[in-house]
Amino acid sequence: MVVAACSSSSSSSTTSGTTPTSAGFNAATGSVVNASTAKGGTLTFDNSSGPDSTDAGNTYYAFNLNFTRLYATPLTTYSSSPGSAGLSVVPALATSLGVASDGNKTWTYHLKSGVTYEDGTPVTSADVKYAVERTFDRTVLPNGPSYFASLLAGNAATYKGPFKDKTGNATAIDTPDSSTIVFHLNQPFADFNYVVAFPQTAPVPQAKDTGANYQLHPLSTGPYMFQSYQLNKQYTLVPNPKWNPAWDPQVKQLASKVIVNLNVNADDIDNRLLAGDISVDQAGSGVQAAARARILSNPSLKNSSDNPVTGFMWFFYVNTQVAPLNNVHCREAVLFAANKNTLQTAYGGPYGGDIASTAIPPTVNGYSKFDLYNALSMPNGDVTSAKQQLQACGQPNGFNVNIAYRSDRPREVASATALQASLAAAGIHATLKGFPASSYYGTFAGVPTYVHTHSLGILTGGWGPDWPDAYGWGWALFDGKAIATAGNANIAEENNPVVNNLFNQLEQATTDSARVSISQQIDMQVMKDAVMLPAVYSKALLYRGSNLTNVNVNEYYGMYNYGILGLKS
Amino acid sequence: MTSFIIRRLFAAVLLLILVSMVIFAIFFLLPKLGGQTNYGLATQYVGRNPTREAVLQMEDQLGLNKPVYQQYWDYLRAIVAGGYFGTGSNRVYCPPPCFGYSFKNQQPVWPQMVSDIPVTLSLAIGASVLWLVGGVTIGVISALKRGTIIDRLSMTIALFGVSLPIFFTGLIALELFSYRWPIFPNVQFVPFTENPYLWAKNLVLPWLVLAFLYAALYARLTRAGMLETMSEDYIRTARAKGLSERTVIFKHGLRSALTPILTIFGLDIGLLLGGAIITEYTFSLHGLGLFTIEAVQNQDFPEIMGVTMLATFFVIIANLVVDILYAVLDPRVRY
Amino acid sequence: MAGDDDILGTSARGARGRRGRTAAEGSVVASGPQSGAMLEVQDLRVRFQTDDGLVRAVDGVSFALDRGQTLGIVGESGSGKSVTSLAIMGLHRGGSTTIDGRIWLSGEELVGANPARVRELRGAKMAMIFQDPLSSLHPYFKVGDQIVEAYRIHHPKDSKRQARQRAIDMLGRVGIPQPAVRLDDYPHQFSGGMRQRVMIAMALVNDPELLIADEPTTALDVTVQAQILDLISSLQAEFGSAVIIITHDLGVVAELSDDILVMYAGRAAEYGPAVGVFNRPEHPYTWGLMASMPRMDRELTTRLVPIPGTPPSLIRVPPGCPFHPRCRYSGLVGERCKTEVPVLHEATAGHASACHLTAAQKAREWSELSAGNVRDEVRETVPQGEVEA
Repeated sequence: MVVAACSSSSSSSTTSGTTPTSAGFNAATGSVVNASTAKGGTLTFDNSSGPDSTDAGNTYYAFNLNFTRLYATPLTTYSSSPGSAGLSVVPALATSLGVASDGNKTWTYHLKSGVTYEDGTPVTSADVKYAVERTFDRTVLPNGPSYFASLLAGNAATYKGPFKDKTGNATAIDTPDSSTIVFHLNQPFADFNYVVAFPQTAPVPQAKDTGANYQLHPLSTGPYMFQSYQLNKQYTLVPNPKWNPAWDPQVKQLASKVIVNLNVNADDIDNRLLAGDISVDQAGSGVQAAARARILSNPSLKNSSDNPVTGFMWFFYVNTQVAPLNNVHCREAVLFAANKNTLQTAYGGPYGGDIASTAIPPTVNGYSKFDLYNALSMPNGDVTSAKQQLQACGQPNGFNVNIAYRSDRPREVASATALQASLAAAGIHATLKGFPASSYYGTFAGVPTYVHTHSLGILTGGWGPDWPDAYGWGWALFDGKAIATAGNANIAEENNPVVNNLFNQLEQATTDSARVSISQQIDMQVMKDAVMLPAVYSKALLYRGSNLTNVNVNEYYGMYNYGILGLKS
Repeated sequence: MTSFIIRRLFAAVLLLILVSMVIFAIFFLLPKLGGQTNYGLATQYVGRNPTREAVLQMEDQLGLNKPVYQQYWDYLRAIVAGGYFGTGSNRVYCPPPCFGYSFKNQQPVWPQMVSDIPVTLSLAIGASVLWLVGGVTIGVISALKRGTIIDRLSMTIALFGVSLPIFFTGLIALELFSYRWPIFPNVQFVPFTENPYLWAKNLVLPWLVLAFLYAALYARLTRAGMLETMSEDYIRTARAKGLSERTVIFKHGLRSALTPILTIFGLDIGLLLGGAIITEYTFSLHGLGLFTIEAVQNQDFPEIMGVTMLATFFVIIANLVVDILYAVLDPRVRY
Repeated sequence: MAGDDDILGTSARGARGRRGRTAAEGSVVASGPQSGAMLEVQDLRVRFQTDDGLVRAVDGVSFALDRGQTLGIVGESGSGKSVTSLAIMGLHRGGSTTIDGRIWLSGEELVGANPARVRELRGAKMAMIFQDPLSSLHPYFKVGDQIVEAYRIHHPKDSKRQARQRAIDMLGRVGIPQPAVRLDDYPHQFSGGMRQRVMIAMALVNDPELLIADEPTTALDVTVQAQILDLISSLQAEFGSAVIIITHDLGVVAELSDDILVMYAGRAAEYGPAVGVFNRPEHPYTWGLMASMPRMDRELTTRLVPIPGTPPSLIRVPPGCPFHPRCRYSGLVGERCKTEVPVLHEATAGHASACHLTAAQKAREWSELSAGNVRDEVRETVPQGEVEA
């Protein structure tokens, strides 16, 4: 009688699941690693700070737009299919993508039937309308995007939200019946399906809305619901027994518990991740420098990591109002002179990002590869062309300029320093000026009058797209109408009527191909205007926990898709 | 004695008011000197791409447009009598002691602080017992065996303990005992009421790291104190009476040497109760220290104010207790 | 202190004899107690090893004492007087201290004895009081507790109440009013003189045979000094203990002592009955002490003559006579003072001194000095050759 290979506690590789075989470096970018339908286990997320809010109507952080789908179902969402399919919006709470009419000014959605909250109360279109209305009150829910307030017609400009206006409502939103909702916009907006993909459209029952306290226990329409929340410390989700997978095919209900630990020391998170004590780093922006070095130098660790493009870009604004940069040729000199290699090193080397040459990153629809300033062909900088441009703008011996950056971000310190060095080679003398990150947009770089008074000609910036097309990426950066007196993101103060017009056309276009073409034109024009010096298309080094199943990088979120994760049994 | 305590409590209240004024000034007046506007400050709390309307509303919500003294008065009054926050259907009553609402997540500050106190308390008390017992013991032994190898060795180790920063010893401890050899894996706080064993087990590393620093200090202090005390005349008298060396050392010597040590101990605990910032950060224990870091990083004024007042309060009480303790221990002290 | 010239006697050994005992010739060490005296010190040497060198704090001192007698040890700071008494009590500590010589207390040898045995004797058979009673009493404990502690360590079988009663008795004996109440006071609640009384009470609570008082009055007011000295004297008469008083103040020893030992640089300079030492001192150092002391029986216009110079370092003691660098009279015996260490010997019967001057020279110089004739340097009138053994 041959002794069969029984499941002993030896570390023999015949027992499945005990010795994880890693699928290889970058395996989760483009395909799903450890695909499985196995249920059970506890998913532990650690975060070095936390979400801006757990209230789905009050959040903007990319990782949270990803995570809130576990308990909040918006009208549309991003596809969980691997690869570039993940950039497309697909219906979630709605039965199909919105039906446009009136030249893209009216959008109609039908809700799926039978959808309820975790307590069994049915979801109605009035709940979706209410969810959007409550975000109008920026004193209670300040964090989310403000597209609804700026796009909706009717009284949107003056409506104060249901907390302050007890009797009124947003007149631009109609609910003809309990499963239909109609949005009336004040301008054509072809991208509206993207706008409703924000969790601000996840339904909220007005009778149970506690305003600023709703974040403590939002009522779930997703696969998980809140069990407990200790503010700033931890929140725990458990499976929502009322959930039906048909309501959102893009998410799964696999783990039997989800724990999120907040305010954990960032290096600690990496150590715990590598030791297998936790499942995921919720922030999803990659490991810190120490762990990165460890992972890259250790083949077996490297095989369990992924290096996806995150959808973010790091770059420098080149301001059009600060002399002599108000002359386009001086701006072009800056773009020619910059040493792209040293910039890439500053942002983390090849694993930290790819050298960028366009104003739009590759994961945005409308990206096309072009290189007006020899960023790719001469990555160490093109001093000759720079000097020609200096002649053309009347500064043959170079000029003085200030570079503003966020001094508590080591990568920005390094990149500003690298840029300073490379500009010097062309005779442009740059002085570095550091600012605190938390008030960079509010008080310094984001305040045009401050920028003018202090002659901040070049300023660091980083940006992620609200949705993956040229409008969702670049409207706030390049449209003249986006310039604000504080919290400004169009820091270069680009106000070219050509570009402004292209953005309008983008939203009136009815076909995808038209939108792509317009996006490419925007990109080209912005680069010709030399208002942005692209540095890198950012990449993150993510570590794949060995017990995780269904690991896949979603190209829109730029990190692992949190809606489908599970654990090995 | 009672009039002494009453006078000190009165002075404590005055001090707290003074501290609150200083923090108010720092938070509101200094940035204005640097050119920040209310608008700019409010922008930080309204997320990305805010509309002008939104920012103005937030300014209003945070009360930034009221005159500084009005804001200050409202704040003080809320601590004692409670106050209302928010507007419309969102208007809530915040019962005393009300330290305002957090700018960032619009939640009352006081309950958040209260929920963090057990962590800091556990950390402080556990570590303090360890360092007091350990430090004093080593200090006494070193003093009695002055000049020997034991003395030199323990003082050298103590020098390391005093010089090595907590984030260094903490990280080494984590690397060795949490990641490499998982004796204490996944350090996180478990409340005592939930599971005393896990509570203690998870706190062992932070206790040891924190205690190492202080124990070293106390060993050196105790050694110095003992050496000084043992050279006092009354020690000679005690020996002249024929008392055993043990009685001389512990009853006559240590008793005197310990008095200043105990008073320092009280002060150290008072400071630590305001939050062992570096230890909490290194081990990701969410106590008042971590609360402070977040508050500062988020420029969340009510939270900054609240935790500073609380920490000040602890220090004041510790000082008071220490003064009373000293008067009790040393009959020569008149109060 | 009426003059009793018959001070040398070979008999009279009783416990109550008021006889001083002279040291033996030279520094010969005998094998047992020389006399039947209660306390006998023979050739005591105490040395400390320090970083700067070997300190010879006490370098060959001998004396003897009976119950009921008082010995006054006189000398400047650093002369070795306190070190001597601490050596008797066994209070020197540490490996860097070496004690040689012999000390007998009631026939029991103390040098080299088992420290546990010496501790038994401390506080019981021999007791000591110190200069500053404020720093010598533990500030944290009540006075009564400290006395009770001193009692109970040597009478462990007695109850607390008995010990407390004994403490009250002692406090009363030393003249503290309301002793039962003041028992519960702390040292800082007493005046200086009262504190010293407390110390005395604590020292005498176990009825010791020997009481050593190290500068008992130095820290006190002059008026209080007299009270304390009276107290010591009367308690000595009552308890019959032997007393050693250590001081630098001649007035104190004049009052109380039967015998006087003058120490200089760790050695005995002069040793004899108080009457003799005061009226006919036989050492230039003692002369210096006398001459520098104001006296009631002299003219106010008589000049006080200080001793020039400073006491020597005990690490590098001058060769020969340790006093010679400051001595006006060393010229009288040529170079001998610089080269030869004078030995303590009896120039006159019962009265010893360590000096090379002849008896005749001493007598002459002293009479000159006490008459008020001070000569700054005594050399020129005496030819080199006149040296007498």
